[in-house]
Amino acid sequence: MAEVQLKNIKKVYPFISGEQKKSKKKKKDEPEKKKSNLQITDEGVVAVQQFSLDIKDKEFIVLVGPSGCGKSTTLRMVAGLEEISGGELIIDGKVMNDVAPKDRDIAMVFQNYALYPHMTVYDNMAFSLKLRHTPKDEIDRKVREAAEILDITQYLERKPKALSGGQRQRVAIGRAIVRAPKVMLMDEPLSNLDAKLRNEMRAEIIKLRQRIDTTFMYVTHDQTEAMTLGDRIVIMKDGYIQQIGTPQEVFNHPSNLFVAGFIGMPVMNFFDAQLEEQNGKYFVDLNGYRVELSEDKEARLKAKGVKSQAITLGVRPDHTDVAKNGVSGVVEVAEMMGSSVHLHVNSNGRDVIIIVPTQDLKESYAIGDTIHFSFNGNVAHVFSKENDKNLEF
Amino acid sequence: MKTKKKSEFAKLPTGDKTLLTIGYVILGLFVLAIIFPIIYIILASFIDPITLQNKGLTFDFQHWTTTAYERVLGNSQIWIGFKNALIYSVLFTIISVVVTLLAAYPMSRMDFKGRGFFNTIFVITMFFGGGLIPTYLLISDLGMLDTIWAILIPGAFSVWNMIIARTYYLGIPRDLQEAAEIDGASEMVYFFKILLPVCTPIIATISMWQFVGMWNSYFDAMIYLNDASKQPLQLVLRAILIQSQPEAGMVSDMQSTAERAQLAELLKYATIIISSLPLMIMYPFFQKYFDNGIMAGAVKG
Repeated sequence: MAEVQLKNIKKVYPFISGEQKKSKKKKKDEPEKKKSNLQITDEGVVAVQQFSLDIKDKEFIVLVGPSGCGKSTTLRMVAGLEEISGGELIIDGKVMNDVAPKDRDIAMVFQNYALYPHMTVYDNMAFSLKLRHTPKDEIDRKVREAAEILDITQYLERKPKALSGGQRQRVAIGRAIVRAPKVMLMDEPLSNLDAKLRNEMRAEIIKLRQRIDTTFMYVTHDQTEAMTLGDRIVIMKDGYIQQIGTPQEVFNHPSNLFVAGFIGMPVMNFFDAQLEEQNGKYFVDLNGYRVELSEDKEARLKAKGVKSQAITLGVRPDHTDVAKNGVSGVVEVAEMMGSSVHLHVNSNGRDVIIIVPTQDLKESYAIGDTIHFSFNGNVAHVFSKENDKNLEF
Repeated sequence: MKTKKKSEFAKLPTGDKTLLTIGYVILGLFVLAIIFPIIYIILASFIDPITLQNKGLTFDFQHWTTTAYERVLGNSQIWIGFKNALIYSVLFTIISVVVTLLAAYPMSRMDFKGRGFFNTIFVITMFFGGGLIPTYLLISDLGMLDTIWAILIPGAFSVWNMIIARTYYLGIPRDLQEAAEIDGASEMVYFFKILLPVCTPIIATISMWQFVGMWNSYFDAMIYLNDASKQPLQLVLRAILIQSQPEAGMVSDMQSTAERAQLAELLKYATIIISSLPLMIMYPFFQKYFDNGIMAGAVKG
């Protein structure tokens, strides 16, 4: 139980060892290659920068983003496994930048379990308590309590190799919770499990969270996990925070094109469109199909003094409806998903996905059919062509 | 099971079949090349040398004898040799393994400053040695001549074994150390309670090499040890063999010379058996530690 504050945290992997220097020299001779998601400066490779976040006591924060966005690095900095290059990490009011991991009162669950293979499940869970010279009967009580929460009591005498993937991950979680840490860090704990087990474990973590009162920091690249688990989600890209908000906020009001495309499944449909302002009212014009934006959107755009301009329009597949009138497109693929049909429609060279609930299915769609689709003004997201930002914010 | 194996072999393309067959034949010959001399020596050590010379191996038990073993084991010096060899081998193995494992740990850490420097220093010793005389002088100056330390200390650190141990450490997932670090383990606790227990296969391997190496060695003992009570088994066996050889220039009758030559032949085989038997007995006990599955379940593989 603790508040965690990250103030302008930065992580740079410097060129220190001989090998890195050599590779740097080599790079100078070669034509310059730059990975799009890595910023290489004179100091080194920048993995995370300008990361500021206030985590409330007992809050469940999820860091989400594509591979290499710096989410795991950030978590490891909080854990103390990576040095913090700049900024301040404060846990429970104390600056922790130079405090050893064992003195931070945190626990961490690793992606690949990281269990001690020569110890039984019981010893794995008791290890940290033994190192803290906890009395034996208390260790026993805590281990059995945690085992019961995670339903692994029957495996306490087994070694990790005699357990399945899901059971091992439970042990890894158990090892973390026996200590009742101030902050619980989880680094993609479910990504090694198969889809079914992942769903089960996700529900387990939600239950676990209700049973143990602590602050959670959870890293994942899976947006479903992020949306279902987090009180707030931090979306990262290329080492920068893109947006911080509740799952509903980031879904309904994505701050930029990246967040809009990253959150939500299937991916949001994007169109080149025109934003028009007329007498204080805002319209989007998509190939002649004109929709007035909702009042709240208009108010926000007005407050920001947004003028008529070319925009990227975003509409989620769930909010795109097949209509008699609207934008036309040709059906290329119709995917039957059970409760709905996903129509992939080619509209002016763009792949547009429309979700049609099966119960609303009035006609069948054949490949090559020309259909029309429309959307409402309250679900249209308008993004700047210049900087990809949502013009409402 | 047999039919399954057959069908698997039958499924292979002709080229693979040929290659596999050649492989098995070569492997079989190799196994024979190892097994045959062992069996020959065991049998020969029991057979009267004249019969062995004239008829070769025979299962006519009338010609079998235990003279060689009686002669070798009857020598009181041999028991002292056994005791010394055991003490030297056990102590040498312990010292060597401890030194090697401890040296390998910092060398496996990427954040160890001076890693490259130490690596260079270590590797140089693999290519260049001091030479026999300078080493002897050094041992002498250190006051270790005719002491057990002359046997135990100079060869205790093996760069080769250190490299092998370091490579093994590097194969242990980093997550394990990080998990231990978060659990509150110091570097020492991690090394002794997490790393070493998962390194039993490599510890067993190095221990085995060092034990066998010391058990079979005689040269250092011959150079540095004068006191008969400190000599290891190999030196004692060597002495027994030499004593039994007909000495050149010794005036004796032809029959005695021939007898001595036969005895020497017989003793040769018995000494080989006596010196290697303890290792053969020891090996199965070590085998359980050569467990590749030790890391199973630690991390998602």
